[in-house]
Amino acid sequence: MSITDLTSMGEPQVELKKEINDRLSKLQDEVSDYCYQCAKCTSGCEAHKLLELEPHKIVALLKQGLIDEMVNSDIIWTCMSCFKCRERCPQKIAPVEILFALKNLAVAGGKQVPGKYTSVLQSVLSIGLIQDAQSVTTKDMKTKTRDDLGLPPLSKPDDPAKFQAGLMKIAVEKV
Amino acid sequence: MRRIGVFVCHCGINIAQNVDVEALTKYASKLDSVVVSKSYKYMCSDVGATLIKDSIKKHELDGVVIACCSPRMHEHTFREVVSDGGVNQYRLEIANIREQCSWAHSDREKATKKAKFLVRSAVAKAKLLESLETSTLEVNHDALVIGAGIAGIQASLDLANDGFKVYLVEREPSIGGRMAQLDKTFPTLDCSSCILTPKMMEVANHPNVELLTYSEVTGIEGSIGNYTVKIKKKPRYVDVEKCTGCGDCATACRLKDRINSEFNMSRGKRGAAYMPFPQAVPLKYTIDAEHCLFLTRGKCGDKPACREACDQKAINFDQKEEIVELKVGAIVVTTGYDLLDPTSMYEYGYANSPDVITTLELERLISSSGPTLGEILRPSDQQKPKSITFILCVGSRDETECTWCCRIGCMSALKHVYLLREKLGDDVEINVCYTDVRSYGKGYEEFYRTVRGMKTNMFRGRPSEVQNMGDHQKIDIFDTTTNKLFEITTDMVVLVPALLPRADAGDFARLLHLTLSGDGFFLEAHPKLRPMDTFVNGIFIAGCCQGPKDIQDTVSQASGAASRVATILSKEELEIDPLIAAVDAEVCTGCGICVEVCPYEARVLNEKTKIAEVNDALCTGCGACIAACPSNASIHKNFTKKQLLDMVDDII
Repeated sequence: MSITDLTSMGEPQVELKKEINDRLSKLQDEVSDYCYQCAKCTSGCEAHKLLELEPHKIVALLKQGLIDEMVNSDIIWTCMSCFKCRERCPQKIAPVEILFALKNLAVAGGKQVPGKYTSVLQSVLSIGLIQDAQSVTTKDMKTKTRDDLGLPPLSKPDDPAKFQAGLMKIAVEKV
Repeated sequence: MRRIGVFVCHCGINIAQNVDVEALTKYASKLDSVVVSKSYKYMCSDVGATLIKDSIKKHELDGVVIACCSPRMHEHTFREVVSDGGVNQYRLEIANIREQCSWAHSDREKATKKAKFLVRSAVAKAKLLESLETSTLEVNHDALVIGAGIAGIQASLDLANDGFKVYLVEREPSIGGRMAQLDKTFPTLDCSSCILTPKMMEVANHPNVELLTYSEVTGIEGSIGNYTVKIKKKPRYVDVEKCTGCGDCATACRLKDRINSEFNMSRGKRGAAYMPFPQAVPLKYTIDAEHCLFLTRGKCGDKPACREACDQKAINFDQKEEIVELKVGAIVVTTGYDLLDPTSMYEYGYANSPDVITTLELERLISSSGPTLGEILRPSDQQKPKSITFILCVGSRDETECTWCCRIGCMSALKHVYLLREKLGDDVEINVCYTDVRSYGKGYEEFYRTVRGMKTNMFRGRPSEVQNMGDHQKIDIFDTTTNKLFEITTDMVVLVPALLPRADAGDFARLLHLTLSGDGFFLEAHPKLRPMDTFVNGIFIAGCCQGPKDIQDTVSQASGAASRVATILSKEELEIDPLIAAVDAEVCTGCGICVEVCPYEARVLNEKTKIAEVNDALCTGCGACIAACPSNASIHKNFTKKQLLDMVDDII
């Protein structure tokens, strides 16, 4: 006996589904099976209008175990991680966390990561920040640095190699 | 030595599939004191009962063990069978080999072994079971109904028409409850007050009904058949004998139109001297002690305006709270429900805009006795709205608010669509954001179809937020039927909020010793077979205090509860189950610990003998006193230490 998605010939990936749902449970979110497709997540999704992310569909596909289809799709990289879906889900499921899990799977499987993500990752690995502190322009068009505003300089990792090793450890352990 | 018979039931295949019943029967026949052991496919059938009765006679049995389902299912049935056969009914012991054995295990061999232990242990107890006799107590034939919404009114009328005296207590100034707030009822669109008001009048004028409005239950003692209930009658500051309901006091009140009207869900105003609604029963005015200037500050102009205005001299600021004591045989609790305050669902903006309202507020706007006299006007500018959007399941079916379905939200919203279309014509745009439309009742699906044909924009989805844009509201909704995100700009948003237990349901449950279910509503004794009973004998529940339901179900349940009460009240005497606590007077030291731990006030310390006593009518056999007694003087009849320890010895 089997179930096949005739549009993609995909079949339910039961083990992977369990892995992702276990991750949700660990984070004290409910598993995807409880979703009743009210689509409150999608109604408020910041990535939906421009980038067509449909979080409720992500949850539905996970319910059916059709995970490869999502891992191979660019759509998972459009999530802005605003966590609104998690905050407002009436069944306490967190589509945003499912998307994190899917992105991890994509990376683990050696999928091409969108360019911006790579540069952000590089920046985190080298200076510990998503991006370096930029100077700001004021209303009267003057450029100010942190120093000009009396802010202390940003601290950066003393030993970048050790810092990177620590980060990689976290990534491997899938914390 | 006892002569015990063991009867093993197959329960069709429920037991037989996982327990070798023949082997069990054979095993039982060899146990000490067992003189006969038989099995049958359905022991609870007439044939099974005859088998037991015949065996009792043939083998001169004086003890019976039946290995079958849980005693909660059939103990009562088998007690009657055993009694008919000529053995004292309390010399029956049930070995539960279904719920606690065959249903719980899949390994037939091990399950059979466990069943043998269970039967052996039951036989051990049967050897020691004593014959007990039921005692009786006299029944008070009056009833108390708490809460005078449609459920309370229906239950009171049924009981009153059966010839019983009924006290109907209501904490608000008028009876009528939630149904009085409604304009029309689904799916028949009956005018709510047209069908409710006659019942209100009937109950108020019924010779067997005594209305106690503006009153609350504050204490209860006693048990089934003989309850003593304390009722607090709050002062109305109006002599109801003199008040003619003319309204001169309300017109004169210095706070006229300055206090939010609870009846109108704060969409309208009233004064401190007020009548909640025009059809109120009793048609008497009340002075709101929380707001009245004279009562709160001791001064209202030169003289209280209402008192001056009243021709009948009915206003009496010297009225005091009064406690009355009633004696009744049984009680029906019909205390109704609260609605979720949608402020907690901040994303829907209920607190941000006056144009985001709830269904019950809309109900008051639609009602001709409401604040707008039935005109649909947008609260912010009192203009006719051109677009109204409903959001269903606000806080319902929601793990963060109320996990249950409110059971009336879908239908009430559909009813509103119908009524709005009727009142505002085709010009108004009506949008409904639903998750699932649950139109499960008689005529409901047909009504849903009608509304679908009334130019209703149905969106299958749930908005994430309602944005207040000042003169209108904006909603993004992803519709899962078209897979499209729609932006709705609308004049008014109607939220369909979850239905909650009364805020004070917990306190009230403690007062009456009732149990709450996980959701906070009153718990019924059995969800299917005893839906109106509670775990307190003689107290019944009906309507939304037991769980969300529509008017149809509420009325049915209320009549059901009334019938359950009538069963008790129609008896002259009630039998008391003798499986309760007793005191070994030789051993009791009179320490009084049992008196303190007894949750049912069934324990008293005899001042003369200094020995604890049990009030058989109050004792429920809960066992608290037995556990608490330091000198083993408290015993539970037919659950004595010797009986239980022998059972344990034989099971291990």
